[in-house]
Amino acid sequence: MDSLSVANLKQRPLRTAVSMAGVSLGVVLVVLMGGLTRGMTRDAAGRQSNVDAEIRFLPGGEISITTSNPLMLSARYAGAIVNGVKPAPENPGVEPKPPVAAVAAATPVGQYVQTGAGAIGFEMVDGIDYASFKDVTSIKIVQGRPLGSGGDEQTAHEAIVDRFYAEKNLGLDNKPIRIGSKIKVLDQPFTVAGVYEPPMLARVKIPLKTMQELFGGADNCSFVMVKLKDREPVDRVIETINDYYPGNNVIPTSEIPALYSQGLFAVDVLLDVVVGLSAVISGLVILLAMFTTITERTREIGILKSLGASKRLIVTIIEREAALISAMGVVLGFVLSAIGRYSIQSSTRLIVDLDIKWLLIGGLIGMAGGVIGAFYPAIRAANLDPVEALSYE
Amino acid sequence: MKRPVQPKFFNYMSTILETVDLKMTYRVGKVDVHALRGVTLNVARGEYIAIMGPSGCGKSTLLHIAGGMLTPTSGRLIIDGEDVTAMSDAQRTELRRRKIGFVFQRFNLFPTLSAEGNLKLAERIYARAKNGGNPEGRRRILKLLKLEDKLHHKPLELSGGEQQRVAIARAVVNRPALVLADEPTGNLDSENSKVVLDMLRGLNNEFGQTIVMITHNPEAAARADRVVEMRDGLILSAGVPHTDS
Ligand SMILES: Nc1ncnc2c1ncn2[C@@H]1O[C@H](COP(=O)(O)OP(=O)(O)O)[C@@H](O)[C@H]1O
Ligand SMILES: [Mg+2]
Repeated sequence: MDSLSVANLKQRPLRTAVSMAGVSLGVVLVVLMGGLTRGMTRDAAGRQSNVDAEIRFLPGGEISITTSNPLMLSARYAGAIVNGVKPAPENPGVEPKPPVAAVAAATPVGQYVQTGAGAIGFEMVDGIDYASFKDVTSIKIVQGRPLGSGGDEQTAHEAIVDRFYAEKNLGLDNKPIRIGSKIKVLDQPFTVAGVYEPPMLARVKIPLKTMQELFGGADNCSFVMVKLKDREPVDRVIETINDYYPGNNVIPTSEIPALYSQGLFAVDVLLDVVVGLSAVISGLVILLAMFTTITERTREIGILKSLGASKRLIVTIIEREAALISAMGVVLGFVLSAIGRYSIQSSTRLIVDLDIKWLLIGGLIGMAGGVIGAFYPAIRAANLDPVEALSYE
Repeated sequence: MKRPVQPKFFNYMSTILETVDLKMTYRVGKVDVHALRGVTLNVARGEYIAIMGPSGCGKSTLLHIAGGMLTPTSGRLIIDGEDVTAMSDAQRTELRRRKIGFVFQRFNLFPTLSAEGNLKLAERIYARAKNGGNPEGRRRILKLLKLEDKLHHKPLELSGGEQQRVAIARAVVNRPALVLADEPTGNLDSENSKVVLDMLRGLNNEFGQTIVMITHNPEAAARADRVVEMRDGLILSAGVPHTDS
């Protein structure tokens, strides 16, 4: 009976191809959207944790990576953690604190996250204090020179970018980025002073001072990165910092990727919609294909019945044909996804992971949509009156 | 043409098809069409009968009921010892699978499958499994029907006569208790008709295949053991058995 299904598929090559394409469309949608989300999240989260600093010190309350004013935390915490708080006679409210002994260095970072079109892409910019930033990370300038302090006219509108950004983006002059190129950051032109490696946090970094100016002038940052002296236990240091400076969020850097992929924007909802839509597309395509098939082959169904084929067998035959089309559509979808991934990654800055989870979901959705879509036509065929079916013209 | 019986042995104790006062009324809009008005007929194992009668007298209706494709309005139907009257739709399908082979005027082969593919499909439905069927039996039947060299042809690559021979092969490949043929030569020229009638005759002679054949053609009817005459949903004469020359 597979020979019957195969023969039928060959009989109508165009319809078979169109049905396959329909199923593959759903599969591609799921695989690429899932892969894009995963790729972008993994990439961003990876860069968030791709620093030597073991501890991140964030403002209290719920941890969020999207805030309208990203600079919520006093930048002075960095100095306080390293050097302690000295008694200030002019301000008796300040409680003196000793330095946290295990800490080697700390740096304040401003981070601005801008949701891109479609909620999938997002742009990030870091404001850093290069002098202390280089002490808590392994940043290396591979082209040009380090970022200035931003305190003067000359360096205020300077930026450094990572190599990926430099290779994948054009400057405002629409030419590949080199040292001296102008790029747009926070709606302002910045001059690229250097290219750094490895990628960490945002791909574009400007002086923290400049970012503070742009956001109202206060000496604030988004978080402080803390680097420990060799072999100091992270948990113990976190306890100490919490002790000295309660009411903030102090977390190990290693936990950031997990935090990052939790409820990133509305992406989860969007993905559910995509998955549902894909199932509906596959289902409808197969429904239509099988419906025309059984109408066209009404007489053949009559013949099957005259040969004593049970309803179940007729449903099986039609479902098998649908499953065959769906399976071919899924395979086609995988191939198209691989091609799509290649062209997306080579023409945009987006990163798509062909991830086993989304391949599985895509394949499952394609198959399930097809099999469910074929069910109604199959039942209709099985319930045809044999004599009427045989006299169908 | 009809000669008295030279005893070809029918076991009248072994009835393959028995109908008792079969009635069939179609409802078309508000009009009742009485297609069968009380048909009582017996066909013995190994018998080859022809049913004749004008168009619209209920021949096909009778055949469809006998094959379990249609439920009569009233009356009884017994096939090979099984009372079909009270059977469910699924049970009648099952009976058809095990005991009936149909041959139609329009051949009704699967157009996408080769001659062999058509036979194998019938075998698989019969066996409810994906085995190779019965190659030996298939070969004997194909030889008798002179189809050995047409096995890999699709229906459209075959003449009408050849298609009908494939259809007959498909109907008998599982050795059904009863073959029901509805005007099997209706779409064939006289030459091909003769070949097909020879085949049916041969199947009856060599395998003892029980056959009920509807025909308009008196010459075709003459090849059967017995001719049943129908008119207006009734049997006029159930015929007298005779032998074919
Ligand atoms: N499905 C149907 N619905 C209504 N009337 C039918 C149907 N099938 C057959 N008939 C009528 O029943 C009568 C017998 O038809 P049929 O058995 O096909 O006769 P035959 O095969 O002898 O030509 C005819 O009057 C025909 O019009
Ligand atoms: Mg008829």
